[in-house]
Amino acid sequence: MSEAIETTRNLARDRAVSSLAIQIGFRAGWFALTLLGAAFLVEVLLWASPGDPIDLLPNGEDLRPLLEREWGLDLPLAARFLRFVGRALQGDLGTSLTVHPGTPVRELVVDAWIRSMGLLVPSLLASLATALALAWWTAGTPSKLRGLVQVVSVAPVFLFAYLLVVGINDATFALLEGGYIDRPDWFALPDQPSWVRTALAIAAMAIGSGCLTELHAGSENELVQIRTSGFIDAVRARGGPAAPHVLPNLVAPLATLAAGRVGFLVGGLVVVEKVLLLNGAGALMWDACLKRDYPLAMGLAIAAAAIVALANLVGDLVRFSVDPRLRRRP
Amino acid sequence: MSRRPESVFLGAIPPALVLCAWGVSVLTDYDVVADVDPSRAGLGPSPALPFGTDHMGRDVFWRTVTASEAFVGPALVACAVALAIAVPLGALAGYSGGTTARAVRYLFDVVASVPRFVLVLLACMIYGSDPLVLATAAGASYAPGLGQAVYARLEALRGAEFVLAARAHGLSDARILGRHLLWVNCRRLVGRHLLYLFGFFLILETTLSYIGGFGIEEPQPSWGNMLAFEFGQHGMNPLATLVPAAAIWLTVLGTVIVADALAEPGDV
Repeated sequence: MSEAIETTRNLARDRAVSSLAIQIGFRAGWFALTLLGAAFLVEVLLWASPGDPIDLLPNGEDLRPLLEREWGLDLPLAARFLRFVGRALQGDLGTSLTVHPGTPVRELVVDAWIRSMGLLVPSLLASLATALALAWWTAGTPSKLRGLVQVVSVAPVFLFAYLLVVGINDATFALLEGGYIDRPDWFALPDQPSWVRTALAIAAMAIGSGCLTELHAGSENELVQIRTSGFIDAVRARGGPAAPHVLPNLVAPLATLAAGRVGFLVGGLVVVEKVLLLNGAGALMWDACLKRDYPLAMGLAIAAAAIVALANLVGDLVRFSVDPRLRRRP
Repeated sequence: MSRRPESVFLGAIPPALVLCAWGVSVLTDYDVVADVDPSRAGLGPSPALPFGTDHMGRDVFWRTVTASEAFVGPALVACAVALAIAVPLGALAGYSGGTTARAVRYLFDVVASVPRFVLVLLACMIYGSDPLVLATAAGASYAPGLGQAVYARLEALRGAEFVLAARAHGLSDARILGRHLLWVNCRRLVGRHLLYLFGFFLILETTLSYIGGFGIEEPQPSWGNMLAFEFGQHGMNPLATLVPAAAIWLTVLGTVIVADALAEPGDV
């Protein structure tokens, strides 16, 4: 008898594992397809452009035949796209034209994104933690805090960063002129890195352009649903604490919510890095677009799309791994 | 999120004022170059100059009003672009289902995977930072969000009893889709998304103009470049900074409040 139960249990586990593998495979395939699509989209935008990158080079016209062959500008769209994908698979995204002439795009993109991850990940985590803490308190109650969160969070990221910088600058100048403090060491010149600016950037991204209010409203919604469900009533009826049962059920919806915010945060990254003079993928993207450095802008945009698609993939995998109900149907 | 009528009324005031300012600005001509007058730089508010002047002696009130031209028109174009792309595609996918739905959703996923701001920057790089390019790019980058919402709504309603009843009465697919599904069941949803897009476009335009390079360039005013222009001007008229900052903040807030008021029961 116990052997039969054991076999059934093993079978169920095997089926769950194989269905998880199918789901992971399905999601990973969708990720790869989306990324290919994004690369194609960028390639179409470039293909339909009125000029070409050679016009921007000082001696472009002399080198035109050579460069057209090198970059495949004379090829039709599909061939250009396949060539780009083939090279990208070998890690070759071309070389920068105008921002860092001659430097491989891959090197620039990887370096810049590693630096920017130091802003992106902390701001996502900070926003999520703050939203959850606020939601834990306000969910299901008529709270003025909800309106306040919306009023503050709706301000654009750049306005937040601007007001924080102006406020801190003016306050510090006033204190310095009054002789209350000596020049603090964090009060750096714009060309020097400073932890204050990094902290301001993380705060502006975590709160601004509706990030905090979206996560807060989403968490509240999930919390209300979980707290009013039957199993929490059962836990309460037995006199146990509800929190250990609420929190694990929050993981899946929060993963989806957080993954959905990554695209917005990447947009915010461009803004804060320009406004607060930080050096990362966002600022590099801006410079590449301003100086019409096509290969670099393309590389950075595709890396941004990859990060957004990867965030969705991770969000899905987290959901599948914590919620067995999702594994039944591939 | 359900809201009290009085807060929705208050929320509607800033967007309404912006539309009035846009109308006034289009009808009058304020000369942005001739207004420079260094002898009245950084003046405080007075009856003739309600918000004072900036550090080049320009009238902050008129610049704030004129700056509405930088985004209202293009934002309406962006809304039209998003509407024209997202609603037909979303409706097609939601009403027909199957392979068409998968293909359309894949298209939406691809466009949505490139962050909106990055897509707009790419478009500005390739086609120049003309307001029309900005508007088209913003509308196209917003389209997946609206399209997914329309798709999800129609997917849920496709098999509803009232649709079966309409079909049994012999109504055409076009009439069921256009009137019963899109007009009756999706207009608030679409209206809400278009208001969000309006707010998004305001944020986009002021951000680009603030950082400079794309967007509106001096001497043409935008609330974004007005802020950038006054940066670091200590002891000058503080209203020259506070007025555009408050204008951005309140307009986005008001737009979002009105949009949230359009949410139907069951919407998140």
